[in-house]
Amino acid sequence: MNGMKRSSRLKLEFSLFNLPAVIFVSLSIYIPFVMSMYFSLTEWNGISKSAKFVGLDNFIKLFSGDKDFVQAAWFTFRYSVLFIILINFLALLLAVQLDKKLKTANILRAAFFVPYIMSLVIVGFIWRFIFSQGFNELLDKTGWAIFELSWLGDPKLSFWSVLLVSIWQSIGFYIVIYIAGLQSIPTELPEAAIVDGANRRQTFFHITLPMLAPSLTTAFFMALVNSIKIFDIIFSLTGGGPGGSTYSITFDIYVEAFQNNNYGYGTAKALVLFLAVLAITTIQLKYFKSREVEI
Amino acid sequence: MNKRTTGLIILEVILVVLALMFLFPLFLMVINSFKTLGEVLRDVLALPKSPSFANFIFVWKYVRYPRLFLNNVIITVIGIVGIVIFSSIAAYMQSRYKSKFSTFLYFFCVMPMLIPFQTIMITVLKLMSSIKLTGSTWGLGIQYWGFGIPLAVFIYHGFVKMIPREIDESAMVDGATTLRTYFQVIFPLLRPVSTTIIVIDVMWIWNDFLLPLLMVNSSKSTQTLTLAAYGFIGQYNTDWQYAMAAMVMAVMPSVIFFVIMQKDIVKGVVVGAVKA
Repeated sequence: MNGMKRSSRLKLEFSLFNLPAVIFVSLSIYIPFVMSMYFSLTEWNGISKSAKFVGLDNFIKLFSGDKDFVQAAWFTFRYSVLFIILINFLALLLAVQLDKKLKTANILRAAFFVPYIMSLVIVGFIWRFIFSQGFNELLDKTGWAIFELSWLGDPKLSFWSVLLVSIWQSIGFYIVIYIAGLQSIPTELPEAAIVDGANRRQTFFHITLPMLAPSLTTAFFMALVNSIKIFDIIFSLTGGGPGGSTYSITFDIYVEAFQNNNYGYGTAKALVLFLAVLAITTIQLKYFKSREVEI
Repeated sequence: MNKRTTGLIILEVILVVLALMFLFPLFLMVINSFKTLGEVLRDVLALPKSPSFANFIFVWKYVRYPRLFLNNVIITVIGIVGIVIFSSIAAYMQSRYKSKFSTFLYFFCVMPMLIPFQTIMITVLKLMSSIKLTGSTWGLGIQYWGFGIPLAVFIYHGFVKMIPREIDESAMVDGATTLRTYFQVIFPLLRPVSTTIIVIDVMWIWNDFLLPLLMVNSSKSTQTLTLAAYGFIGQYNTDWQYAMAAMVMAVMPSVIFFVIMQKDIVKGVVVGAVKA
């Protein structure tokens, strides 16, 4: 009798203590997600109380060639690929150097990390200032042609500006991940390889890099997730311009909903993005995890 | 051996130069915030002739800095207290009591990590305004609970497993209730993880832009530092000296936080990322 009482009490406690987490996750995420599924099937301007049910019209419109969306998707794709490759290459390169016995190693690591703690929107503004005012002055002083280019005014160059600023802002984060990975490798391993006559390059590619597999998985995953979601920097650095050339998918969704007041259509776009993110991250994680096991 | 040390010295010099170039934009931001507009336009790279705090004083008054700072503190504190308490207790329960329902609850809490905020932002805004959580700092703080719980539950769950069961059992035998055992015995043991979670979430909530933009941007009395800096710069976009001062003031709290908490931040970043 006593035991039964106790077990039902435990069950009650168990439910009670899980309740807040369940309620608030539902409130912020699950309920909006379910609402999104419904509103993606409607035409709704966000102001009127009722949304008009239109079936799959939004998705048909989207897939029968929405030029803005295609352009934004293409931008996001090119941006993500280059961001993932460049940031991992540069961060790994710097991490390997910063892992050496340098007198200023700690200060240097902190220096590269500083932009990461700042708000992305502010970072975008700082660079708007650098690209406009700073580059003018640098051109006067140096006469170098790269300072003469219109980094925010030319559609081709503004892509690289967004990429550059994103890398500048977050490289410290990836360096930290790689340094943590490098420090978890027992020093005897590379040392033994060198004693056995391997040169530095061989040691790096055959010992260090494979041992870094978990860090690589983490860093590539984070780079992927963060680059697909790029929003804040575009918001303050280019505002999507010039001429819509730096619209990312998330920025396009934002504009569609909150500036064009096409909430229903915006929701449909957002759902498509969600499915894409889910598919890509799953594939990427499976691929990297399987490589980790092989090694 | 000697050759090796010379190599290291050269490498060190290269890296220091690289780091200085890397931080150059921030340097420009700071020096120009102390200049007059005339000086900014004459030569961006020059140091201020007579550094003055005039720009800072102007921005301070114009955006009502103390009010914004307080807003940021309210939002961040409410957000973090809720995230830490609700996540740790849920993760503790899910980790201690094994059942299908318990596993289900764990995945229910953790799965949303896969849902990017931008894919639900439109309906989040609709829902939150219909239940009156928009337009107030405390309302925004509450919204962060749901967005922060998934990662926090994930991290706590992994850590609770490592606390031996005997510890809570012996407390229970002594007659303590579950809630008391949790608060007096388990929660203190979770301190290192709590620090990690607090650090990750402070950096996130303090600097967040999109959610505050949707929820609290309509009134000056509820804006955050980043939102005000954004609005201010939009308005004074040719008065670079004010814009620079506004940015320095928006960034300063994060930089101070980083200097004090550097070790915990770096550790937190690694733990938070390894969730993958």
